[in-house]
Amino acid sequence: MRISDKEVHDRRWMGVGRSSLSDSGAAAADAVRRALTGPDPKLLVVFAAITHDTEAVLAGVAGAAPGVPVIGCTTHGEIGPGGPADGTVTVAALGGAGLEVATCVAEHVSGRQGDAGYEVAGCMRQVTQPHRVLMVLTDGLVRDQESIVRGCYRALGAGIPLFGGAAADGWRMSGAYLFKDGQVLTDAVIGAAIASEAPIAVGVRHGYRTVGQPMIVTRAADGRVLTLDDRPALDVYLERLNAPPQAYTDPSAFTAFALSRPLGVQRRSGVEARNLSTEVDLEGRSIGGGGAIDPGGLTWVMTGDEESILDATDGACQDALDRLAGHEPIGMLTFSCAALRAVLGDEGIRREGERLERWAGTMPFAGFYTYGEIARNHGIDGFHNQTLAVLALS
Amino acid sequence: MAGLAESLYIQQLVELLAVVSSSTDEASAVQNAVERSAQALEAEVAAAVFDDKVVASIGFPPGAVPHEEIVAVTRRRRSALDVPGLGSCPAVTASWAGSHPGHLVLARWDAPFQVEEQNLVRGMARVLELTLTMLRTLTVEHAIRESLEERQRLLEHLFTIQRAISRREDLRQILDTITNGARDLLGDEIGLLWVRDDAESGRARLAAAAGTRPVDLDHPPVVDLADASVAGEAMVADRVVVRHGQETQSRMLKLLGPGTVYASMAAPVHDSGAVTGALVVASCDRDRIYTPGDEQTLRAFAENVSLALTDANTVVRMRQAHHDALTGLASRRLFLEQLDQQLAAVDSDGGTLAVLFLDLDRFKDINDSLGHAAGDQLLTVTADRITAQLRAGDAASRFGGDEFAVMLSRVDGPADAMAVAGRIVAALGKPMRVAQHRLRVGVSIGIALSGADGDEPAELVARADLAMYEAKRRGTGGYALYGETVPGDGTRPAVPR
Repeated sequence: MRISDKEVHDRRWMGVGRSSLSDSGAAAADAVRRALTGPDPKLLVVFAAITHDTEAVLAGVAGAAPGVPVIGCTTHGEIGPGGPADGTVTVAALGGAGLEVATCVAEHVSGRQGDAGYEVAGCMRQVTQPHRVLMVLTDGLVRDQESIVRGCYRALGAGIPLFGGAAADGWRMSGAYLFKDGQVLTDAVIGAAIASEAPIAVGVRHGYRTVGQPMIVTRAADGRVLTLDDRPALDVYLERLNAPPQAYTDPSAFTAFALSRPLGVQRRSGVEARNLSTEVDLEGRSIGGGGAIDPGGLTWVMTGDEESILDATDGACQDALDRLAGHEPIGMLTFSCAALRAVLGDEGIRREGERLERWAGTMPFAGFYTYGEIARNHGIDGFHNQTLAVLALS
Repeated sequence: MAGLAESLYIQQLVELLAVVSSSTDEASAVQNAVERSAQALEAEVAAAVFDDKVVASIGFPPGAVPHEEIVAVTRRRRSALDVPGLGSCPAVTASWAGSHPGHLVLARWDAPFQVEEQNLVRGMARVLELTLTMLRTLTVEHAIRESLEERQRLLEHLFTIQRAISRREDLRQILDTITNGARDLLGDEIGLLWVRDDAESGRARLAAAAGTRPVDLDHPPVVDLADASVAGEAMVADRVVVRHGQETQSRMLKLLGPGTVYASMAAPVHDSGAVTGALVVASCDRDRIYTPGDEQTLRAFAENVSLALTDANTVVRMRQAHHDALTGLASRRLFLEQLDQQLAAVDSDGGTLAVLFLDLDRFKDINDSLGHAAGDQLLTVTADRITAQLRAGDAASRFGGDEFAVMLSRVDGPADAMAVAGRIVAALGKPMRVAQHRLRVGVSIGIALSGADGDEPAELVARADLAMYEAKRRGTGGYALYGETVPGDGTRPAVPR
């Protein structure tokens, strides 16, 4: 860092630490110490591999930075300088007199997703700096994540961007965990109002393209697509993609096949990708997953490859950094979709990490592979699948 | 993608109907409609206003909803709303009358609402009106069940229409589908769609008919709007018109009906805001009485016709902008776009494409001696003969006058491109019958191959054009390759690089 930047740094800074120690408490403490690179820390964002002892992680964090507010979650891989990793504790720290943070949690979210989103947005009332974003961490195994985001929007209105992600559990699909100070939570939502004297910006992109003719969602309910073009959704979807025979009968073969082939939903500004790989019903021949699709929607099957996805990595970073309107960035949070790992493979996510490092340059960045990304600048929606969501701070 | 985006409006209306009509009470129907309409138009703000009160909204934090400003938009006293954090956002509103009049308001940052979007907002207001009317007329349980079934049938019909439009089915088929749907849903014998040729026309022609005596739609019946027909009145008054009783039916309905018509109802159809037609249902049942709910259903269907017409007209307008009116070939602009895309494709996979520039020999003589009509006919035949020589993925364009360009999307080298050029020369060299004359037209073709890094479409066409002049200089009926000396039908041109 140049000396002349020190004053700015002391007012607003971000630091990132990572530890691959196997002892969970020690790893957390090590990562926190590395992340604390400035005075007056305001927030620690902890990304821990699902293999860690979550209670020990939080004890380690509290021991290394007593009294500093903590949020975080388990992952399907941790993102940071040095490339993507599995099995680490990766911590982002934000601090300085020019930043304000207030956090809030809502529990027992299932069945009242919209209200829970509305509640956690309430922390925005506690901050006063002019540039604001609500960061939201959700439990990736809770259905209807859109309603959580919609609840936040109802509370905050159009003026506040939204950013966040859904906690993951390394594809175990048995339990993802959220962290709030000393607590390990499931079926919860965490909100963090981040306010700054300098601009904060959100960017998001997916790297998929549509294939073939559109289909119409003729029946859908509870976040599941029951029929496409009046026929069982599972069969129509697989036929369109010339899927292998076992994808029709074996749930894990279906998931493996569908992970990299989302369903696209037509919107005014483009086609959104929806991951429908995780909740297949072989008897009812329906498909479901992280995002709701409404009846009447025009949909396509979509495909992407490493090149198109890495182009989207660039697009999301550039979008977020451009929105800082010329202010020097101090760091980025980068939330990428867990399903992208299926398309990219280990080599591909390493190259994704290299792209992120190219955009970050010398500034710190951290994030995780999520079960859903949250990013809203305009419109009323902000829950995404198969994207990279970037929060840039200046 | 571009072609499909136009069917988005229909999709959004159907999605709204699907979501809103599943609501079981008024408050949730209104809130759902507000949020769904904002979502469909990617607007930040949406609100529903009844009796000058905002009863549901999204986009403002609770306690900060600018009630007076939103009501002012419904009265057309404001055309924008100030949204905290965003600034002034262009607004749009649509109203409905009836027993429970209301307004839908939307505001969007940085992007004023297009005419088609304003149509969509009006369609959404109709859907909300329809849903609220249905909900308000429910009193006993069997009515609820019947109503749900009715809504399900309405949805199924709308899905069919949406699918037809998104797949670019023939407009007449789409209109038939809608007309049939309205008739079927309302349980009537007759469905008709009348369309004005233009907004100023005092007459309308029959565009679709279901359940009538046989009608030749290639020579459709015409009605005068001034006649006392239910369709004419709906178009003139821009509202739903209902007529009960045998004696009140128009002469045209009596003519078209399979039996005596006892009741009829018409709803206006709009294109880009102007009344362009009327959707009519009619019944031969002596006891048929149209209810307010029936009126709403017909109106919802009429809004679908409006969107279908807007959609179809958009396609026609787009096609006109991108294609040569005479030959139907791609315009120069579209051709250059296609070339640009294909250049990127071959650039990335190391392939080669070729551009052929064609200029007809003796065309001016024929045009001068036999007239423009003959010239036009010759150009049309030429276009057909050129396209007959192309493969899938290739493209042909008329650049103007007697100049054509062809893109061969993948070639194995100069010999491959020259073989196609040779085939075109041979095909055009065969006699054609134009204006009772048997004519032979020669063509000179210049060929340019991609290869240099960063080939620009215009530059590639210019090279082919240069090569064409070389071919012409050598004599008629030949081709030349840019940058090389090649054998070709007696000509051996060499264009310096």
